[in-house]
Amino acid sequence: MSKGLVTGVDIGAATTKAVILDSSNVLSFFIMPTGHSVAEAGEVVVRKALENVGLSFVDLEYVVSTGYGRRAISFASKAVTEIICHAAGVSSVISQARSIVDIGGQDSKVIGLDGAGNVINFVMNDKCAAGTGRFLEVMAGVLNVGIDEIGPISLMSKDACQMSSTCTIFAESEMVSLRAEGRSREDLLAGICKAMAHRVAIMGQSVGFKKDVVFTGGVAKNVGIKKALEDEIGLEILVPEEPQIMGALGAALLAKAELSEIETKRV
Amino acid sequence: MARYYDELLKLCGFEVEEINGEGSRIEKAFQKLEIGPEDMEPAESWVRQHHDVELVGVRKLLAAWLKELIDLVLAKDEGKRVIYFGFPAITRPGTLIASASEEIYCACPDTILCHTMGQIFNKLTPILEAGEQNGLPPGHALCSLWQIKVGALAKGIIPAPDMAMASSYYCDMGSKADDLLHEIYGTPIVYIDGSMDSAWGEYPDYSPQRVEFLGAELNRLFDEVKEIVGVEITSEAWEKAAPSMRQYYGGIGQLTELMKADPVPLYGAETSLATILGAACTGRGISEGSKAITILIEEVQRRVDEGVGVVEKGAPRVMVFVGNFSDASIMRMIENTGLAVPQTYFTVPPPKAKARTSYATVGEIMAENEMRGGLYHSSYGAAKRTEMATEYSKLDGIIFNYPFNCRPAAQMSHTLKKWVEENTGIPALSLENDLYDSRSYSAAALRTRVETFAEMLRARKASASV
Repeated sequence: MSKGLVTGVDIGAATTKAVILDSSNVLSFFIMPTGHSVAEAGEVVVRKALENVGLSFVDLEYVVSTGYGRRAISFASKAVTEIICHAAGVSSVISQARSIVDIGGQDSKVIGLDGAGNVINFVMNDKCAAGTGRFLEVMAGVLNVGIDEIGPISLMSKDACQMSSTCTIFAESEMVSLRAEGRSREDLLAGICKAMAHRVAIMGQSVGFKKDVVFTGGVAKNVGIKKALEDEIGLEILVPEEPQIMGALGAALLAKAELSEIETKRV
Repeated sequence: MARYYDELLKLCGFEVEEINGEGSRIEKAFQKLEIGPEDMEPAESWVRQHHDVELVGVRKLLAAWLKELIDLVLAKDEGKRVIYFGFPAITRPGTLIASASEEIYCACPDTILCHTMGQIFNKLTPILEAGEQNGLPPGHALCSLWQIKVGALAKGIIPAPDMAMASSYYCDMGSKADDLLHEIYGTPIVYIDGSMDSAWGEYPDYSPQRVEFLGAELNRLFDEVKEIVGVEITSEAWEKAAPSMRQYYGGIGQLTELMKADPVPLYGAETSLATILGAACTGRGISEGSKAITILIEEVQRRVDEGVGVVEKGAPRVMVFVGNFSDASIMRMIENTGLAVPQTYFTVPPPKAKARTSYATVGEIMAENEMRGGLYHSSYGAAKRTEMATEYSKLDGIIFNYPFNCRPAAQMSHTLKKWVEENTGIPALSLENDLYDSRSYSAAALRTRVETFAEMLRARKASASV
């Protein structure tokens, strides 16, 4: 008898994620850096997620891939865009979500949802590093702070620096100048969070931000960006417990739906 | 003896006799275009990938573009007086001027280069780079169509014109780039002034003063042609031009009507090949293009009768505002995501003439026509025509091109997108790309957005049918 085991695998520019579902629960998930080989990352991440619960590839009945590398996964039954998958993933954990802000390693998106969790509008930036996780990595490198420290330190600022939000390279040289002026690390990091939030808020204007706004992607773990984004859009932002796996979770849910359709047809 | 270009030209709809008859012209043109034997195989593969060469009409359309390219490149060598116009095109005045004398070659050269050096040979980059090195540098949000014109002139691919018609009908870049032509080549420029200001909500009505003003500007253009090129534009020329234009636009109308079928019978890139000919050419492009369209209509009619389509029956139907001129792969990618493209802005039938239509001069008649087209009328006119298209082609969505280096189009893809969505109730996607330069925008890079949009439209259609 079918156990209904499916997986969603999200191959992003920076990290690759997999979620394993059985007929009713999330059994396991795994996150790892994408590295140089997209196909290899896709295979390894699924294997690791399966090994966590004592399973292997042969147990899988349907695989949906998503993210930039979605077409490189030879074992995927179907490839679906990350926007559709994020919508599905987020709606399953926060059903009242109407807007999603997803900031990944090298792109950012704002997605509008209807009451049923369907995508009704979206906007995406993947041409410029400003407004993406890469922007934060560059700034963290210049200030020699860990990527995870940016948020908490920025929240201690009393006077955030005004910084360019249009270009990572310009923002980097601007930060070097501000640092030379003696601005505190807290104010510099708060300025970075503000600049990035501003960039994303402008991009999302054409879609609009509606309550509940849900923040996903690796950058959603950054409390400084979350606070700055809330200030920009004037709405409270919800962050799922595991914001990085929403795309993979959505892909897994779509895989489950596909499998169920196949089984229904079989019957 | 076989020549290196025989197979490619046959693929592109040339008859053997035509190749034989034009052999020396083809060779001379290809030499100027820096096209050699090594370009044939990649070009054949490029054409087969992105054009429906099973259809004779499509091949003949490619032939029409290539013949126009050859005529363009050799115009000066063959003793013609050369006149250029820009895009968005003022085709009707161009056709009239060309009809006045066989000594005149009149066309929109950059658009011809896009559809041939881009869509057939995939060799636009050196021309774009030459434009960037000769007055229109990269990274300054300058129009790549004008970079192509300036680059082709700088490389000696196309002849320096005897006159240029600067058409700031729609575009602020055109007249500025023509200034550059004047500065470098001493080309006399005739500036056709026009006002695009119109009260919001006026379209399809328009003020007669606007027609009279633009009409007077066009009539002045004809006077200046006489002064600069020495050819008088008479009413006989209009009578000579009118039948070929009627045949061409009649064919486009029939093709557009056939595209209402479900499944959609023809790829969007092919309808664009047909419609943009009219915006770029006044000579062989139009006469040969009309014949090609007649063949294509018969072939497409057969597909419609047999229920054959290029996408699935019931696929969401979208209007792509304008197809990419230089790269058919983007339109094909859109269709590969399961979207049908029955329509572009240029194939929406305009409303019938109303109010005062008895304009006395050729300039006014042409101006009135432009006004009804919507794009020249106003932003509202363009939005309203888009709204008409949703009804005409039973559209499920619209894809607006967002070329950041084109102010009118960039505005349209944002402000008008919102208006169209609110007034038609169908979603629109703003797709950032460049219609003429595919160095920064590839089909692969745009695919995630289009796939998501396709998925959105399918979900909407499915929920509407429940």
